[in-house]
Amino acid sequence: MYGSRLLTLFSTALIVVELATLGYADAQVSFVRDVKPLLARRCFACHGPDAGEGGLRLHELKSAVAELDSGSHAIVAGQPEESVLLARVASTDEFARMPPEGKPLSEREIEILREWIAAGAPWEKHWAFVPPAQVEPPEVKEKAWVRNAIDAFVLARLEGADLPPVPPADQRTLARRAYFDLTGLPPSQEELQQFLSDDDPQAWERLIDKLLASPHYGERWGRHWLDLVRYAETNSYERDGAKPNAWKYRDYVIESFNEDKSYDQFLREQLAGDELDEVTEETIIATGYYRLGVWDDEPADPVQARYDEWDNLISTTSQAMLGLTVECARCHDHKIDPIPQADYYGMLAFFADVTPYGERGDEETNSQWDLSPRDESDQRKNLRKAIKEIEVEKTSMEEVGIKRMPAPDQRLTETSDRQQVLDEKLERYLNPSEWELYEETLARLAAARKEFDALPAAKMALALGTCEPHPAAIHIMQRGNPHVPGDEVAPHFPELFGDAVPEIPAAEPGARSAGRRRVLADWIASPDNMLTARVIVNRVWQHHFGRGLVRSSSNFGELGTPPTHPELLDWLANWFVAHNWELKALHRLIMNSSTYRMLSQGNERALAMDPTNDLLWRFDMRRLSGEEIRDAMLAVTGELNRDVYGPSVFPPMPQEVLNTQSMPGKGWGKSSAAEAARRSVYIHLKRSLLPPLLTAFDLPDVDASCEARFVTVQPGQALTLLNSEFAHERAEKLAERVSSERADLTAQVARAVELALNRPATEGEIAAGRGLIARLAKGHELTERAALETWCLAVLNLNEFVYLD
Amino acid sequence: MKNTNGTTRNFCGRTRREFLWETGCGFGAAALASLLAGDGVRAGEFANPLAAKPAPFPAKAKSVIFLFMYGGPSHIDTFDYKPSMVGMDGKTIAVKTFGRGGHKNEGRIIEPRWKFKQYGECGKWVSDLFPHVGGCVDDIAFLHSMTAESPIHGSAMLMMNSGRLQSGNPAIGSWLNYGLGTVNDNLPGFVVMLDRSGGPISGAKNWASGYMPATYAGTVFRAEGSPINDLSPRAGSSKLEQREVLDTLGALNEQHRQSRADNTDLAARIASYELAFKMQSHAPEAVDLSQETVATRSLYGLDREQTHDFGTRCLLARRLVERGVRFIQVYSGGAHNDHNWDAHGDLVVNHTKHAGATDQPIAALLTDLKQRGLFDETLVVWGGEFGRQPTAEYAVGTGRDHNSYGFTMWMAGGGIKGGVSVGSTDEIGSNAVDSPMHVKRLHATILQQMGLDPNSLSYFFRGLDQKLVGVEHVDLIAEIV
Repeated sequence: MYGSRLLTLFSTALIVVELATLGYADAQVSFVRDVKPLLARRCFACHGPDAGEGGLRLHELKSAVAELDSGSHAIVAGQPEESVLLARVASTDEFARMPPEGKPLSEREIEILREWIAAGAPWEKHWAFVPPAQVEPPEVKEKAWVRNAIDAFVLARLEGADLPPVPPADQRTLARRAYFDLTGLPPSQEELQQFLSDDDPQAWERLIDKLLASPHYGERWGRHWLDLVRYAETNSYERDGAKPNAWKYRDYVIESFNEDKSYDQFLREQLAGDELDEVTEETIIATGYYRLGVWDDEPADPVQARYDEWDNLISTTSQAMLGLTVECARCHDHKIDPIPQADYYGMLAFFADVTPYGERGDEETNSQWDLSPRDESDQRKNLRKAIKEIEVEKTSMEEVGIKRMPAPDQRLTETSDRQQVLDEKLERYLNPSEWELYEETLARLAAARKEFDALPAAKMALALGTCEPHPAAIHIMQRGNPHVPGDEVAPHFPELFGDAVPEIPAAEPGARSAGRRRVLADWIASPDNMLTARVIVNRVWQHHFGRGLVRSSSNFGELGTPPTHPELLDWLANWFVAHNWELKALHRLIMNSSTYRMLSQGNERALAMDPTNDLLWRFDMRRLSGEEIRDAMLAVTGELNRDVYGPSVFPPMPQEVLNTQSMPGKGWGKSSAAEAARRSVYIHLKRSLLPPLLTAFDLPDVDASCEARFVTVQPGQALTLLNSEFAHERAEKLAERVSSERADLTAQVARAVELALNRPATEGEIAAGRGLIARLAKGHELTERAALETWCLAVLNLNEFVYLD
Repeated sequence: MKNTNGTTRNFCGRTRREFLWETGCGFGAAALASLLAGDGVRAGEFANPLAAKPAPFPAKAKSVIFLFMYGGPSHIDTFDYKPSMVGMDGKTIAVKTFGRGGHKNEGRIIEPRWKFKQYGECGKWVSDLFPHVGGCVDDIAFLHSMTAESPIHGSAMLMMNSGRLQSGNPAIGSWLNYGLGTVNDNLPGFVVMLDRSGGPISGAKNWASGYMPATYAGTVFRAEGSPINDLSPRAGSSKLEQREVLDTLGALNEQHRQSRADNTDLAARIASYELAFKMQSHAPEAVDLSQETVATRSLYGLDREQTHDFGTRCLLARRLVERGVRFIQVYSGGAHNDHNWDAHGDLVVNHTKHAGATDQPIAALLTDLKQRGLFDETLVVWGGEFGRQPTAEYAVGTGRDHNSYGFTMWMAGGGIKGGVSVGSTDEIGSNAVDSPMHVKRLHATILQQMGLDPNSLSYFFRGLDQKLVGVEHVDLIAEIV
């Protein structure tokens, strides 16, 4: 990672820079697209926000054109010959040439800088910090390839680079691609046959419509959103306690996708579902959004913990919805993006009425919302309050006695053995009148509890149960230290957007919230917000193609990667808003393009010219996610339980994994076999006990927003798929299925391949399977059935099973 | 492009690998692999993200063994000698403490319950809880003025393991894996061995890789049965059988790859199955203690019930060091209450138990590493997530509450000076007074000894160059290196 790898790093940077211009036939040098990234990659480390060697800082216009320590100027606008920067990067003297390490700049790169300076060194705003341009699809030569505007944008670049797109993939490949893409599941053999035998020229379009109408669509695409909002169902830390009803938020997300709720409404409901004009059960459940993060029930510094909770919320919201990383500004002005510290706290001020998740012993008041009719919920609330008061009395009486006990007993009263100690010993340590009072309290408590239990069961939601309608003023915290408040700030939008400071009247007496989140929600979900639509269309693109047009899909700032197709991105953003923020329409547009239907196989020429496929000359292969692998295994054995929605399930967790807990097994339930075969999106997500199969295949850490999953290849994955109980059970079930569906061994061997890979087995595969079974039966004395199971295990381990063309 | 620390970095401090991870996560795997091609990874080779990387600075140590005394051992009853407390027992004094019982301004002194003796040439005072470790003091650097930010187990554990109070950050073993890779492909680079009574609180969060890929997370290793989850083929199936499966699988995968040769992930996945197969024989060999002599087993206390468990883990730790594992964490204590060092009730019962279980094995580990010539390249770290208070937690009894204002840890081997003591707490051990050392400085010292610059080893995440030691410059503990 140091030294020796630098050369390749720089050649990588070179590829990126040159590709940015590749395919733009009449390309004029653009500061944003060509110059700034070049300066950032090659110069900023010594001449940027953190360092100004020789008096030069190239990240801002003012300092970039200022006089250097040497008295000369790095950049003299309009005068390349006077600009020392050019002389230094073009120098043939190894000791004078900049940058001092790595490959020298290419001729093209030097030319970019020269042209830019000659044109007056225009210093334009970062591409993402200006509204999307109104662009029209470009003209192309190969018009027949263009099915919609997407293709025109893609093909124009390809034609400019003289790089033809590869041919379309066959129908079978496309079907498998579309099924996994939209539902996260493979097609069944029947579904596949139906599509393949459909002669209608609109068969593909109809398939997409059918998949978008499937409830499994929401499960797949909802999961992408859950990654972004770091969805999990427990609090982390010592007790890692459960967040009751978190699953309702998960269902809300899945259902929103299935209903094709407009994306702007989806955002509004999560940010301000309790403050909308029309508040419904659904919009209240949506505010579960605020309750998904980690929460320390016993913080060392409660003030710090409060601000950490807010930070988690701000970073999640800004990354997921705006594609901005604002966390740097918690402690100081952002060094690169124009985000001053005041903007961070201005954002925090919108969330000022969001109460902490809970306090130790009460995780209900702030975070659970009683959805039952008002009188019922009021009654319950009052009784709950009364019970709590009696409990406090009871505890304080117990503490009187406990203080008189020996230390080991005192200690035990702080553990799960408390009740036992009290039952056995408390009377001894209380005097008779104290004991009498205690018994009376116990009786009162029992009566109150009985009354509470007689009420109809509550219908609760994880939500903003309690808000702070009149929050205290928010201050900038100096160096991010919440104990050192500085200037007061009002809720305001980051200044880079150039929007006016909103006027938010103080909440009326009796209001339950401050009304600020609604303002923020309306601003984020506005067609005029220059980032919101771009960020979501880029995410949709990312999940269809394996990566976004902007690769750093939660960071559209200057530290992010610039879009490979900026015009396409802007066009899509505008189109999406014009089409009512409807995601299903966007899926249709993308999947009906020729761009989406290309083969995944490459050719030598294209691979040499654009090995990273930045220009989209082919469709990139992708490995299935952990959830897809598990779900596909259950699907091909026929075991998958396709029930949708409901409380989370607990598939068996290996005992060795449970043993890593301080209380082995705590917080992990037991589901029936049928429930355990539900889709992975319904598995209970306990932060300290994540399902090993999913983590092996890169389930992200659930404590922070995840823009894109890692795709690792490591031997632990092989061990999981070869040796885990889960893998063996699936192999057995697959063997059982093929045995019941086919009579002779050869057909069984072939059937396993067909079910797993959605294509007929080849002669070679059948021979390989028969050969393996024969050797196992003969050499290792396996029964034929056991040998068939082993073949099925092998099939489920094939590269073709986990990689999609 | 050198920064002030002399390491070469590209824009924003991102190293090449970080750059790849960061962009790579949203990137076609094939594309990623082709970028990695510059690393000398050819098609057909396993592009192991844990491949050994040369340390950017001269490394003193190759491996770290972190002996984690979970629950928080009392420093004044072990290595922080407080003679002036003698005679103070039961006296209520004014002292500011902060533990699980909250902030207090006074408390009843519990005198150290063990006698102290001087050991070694350095004359270090050590309590009767650790007579064997006492014999090693000339090789040990004691850090008496450690401080942490939390006296609550959950967050304090995270701080000691990952440098932060918040959940979601990579453990120090993950940082070492990330920075240095592993020299032994057949074993994980970051191993955790838990107490028989259970894991520590927060379980896997203590060895998670946080925002880094799960590849860098710790692997739980067991002394009995299958050392790693899913390592062994199904009961009753043989290695040869598995070989048959892998051969068939390899051949079919090779056919599939023919028309997709540019996707090096496919080849990497084929290779990863071979690596997994090798792990199946190497990992059990690593835990096969029958290869050890009776004398060695006895040295570690495997022949005594009291020391058998922890001794086994220490001996395994040495064997893993020999096999190139980078970071090994051995827990003393697990679960809750008196199953670990959390002596809230009866201090004497608790510490007698845990010191009794660990003293001999720890000394054996140091001795054994020395006699095998491994001591100089193996950094041993001892300590808990915090120490304990000088005063009683309850009105009656000897239990002590947590203390993160001042406590003791020690380091040995791996280029650490022996026979030295740095920093001090006040006369009763309630607060670090002389050169207080934040946990981050311990982390900085560990990274530095391993050949990494703690102030430049970074991982780009959430728009920031994240570092184990945080954004502000952290000095290592210069007195001991």
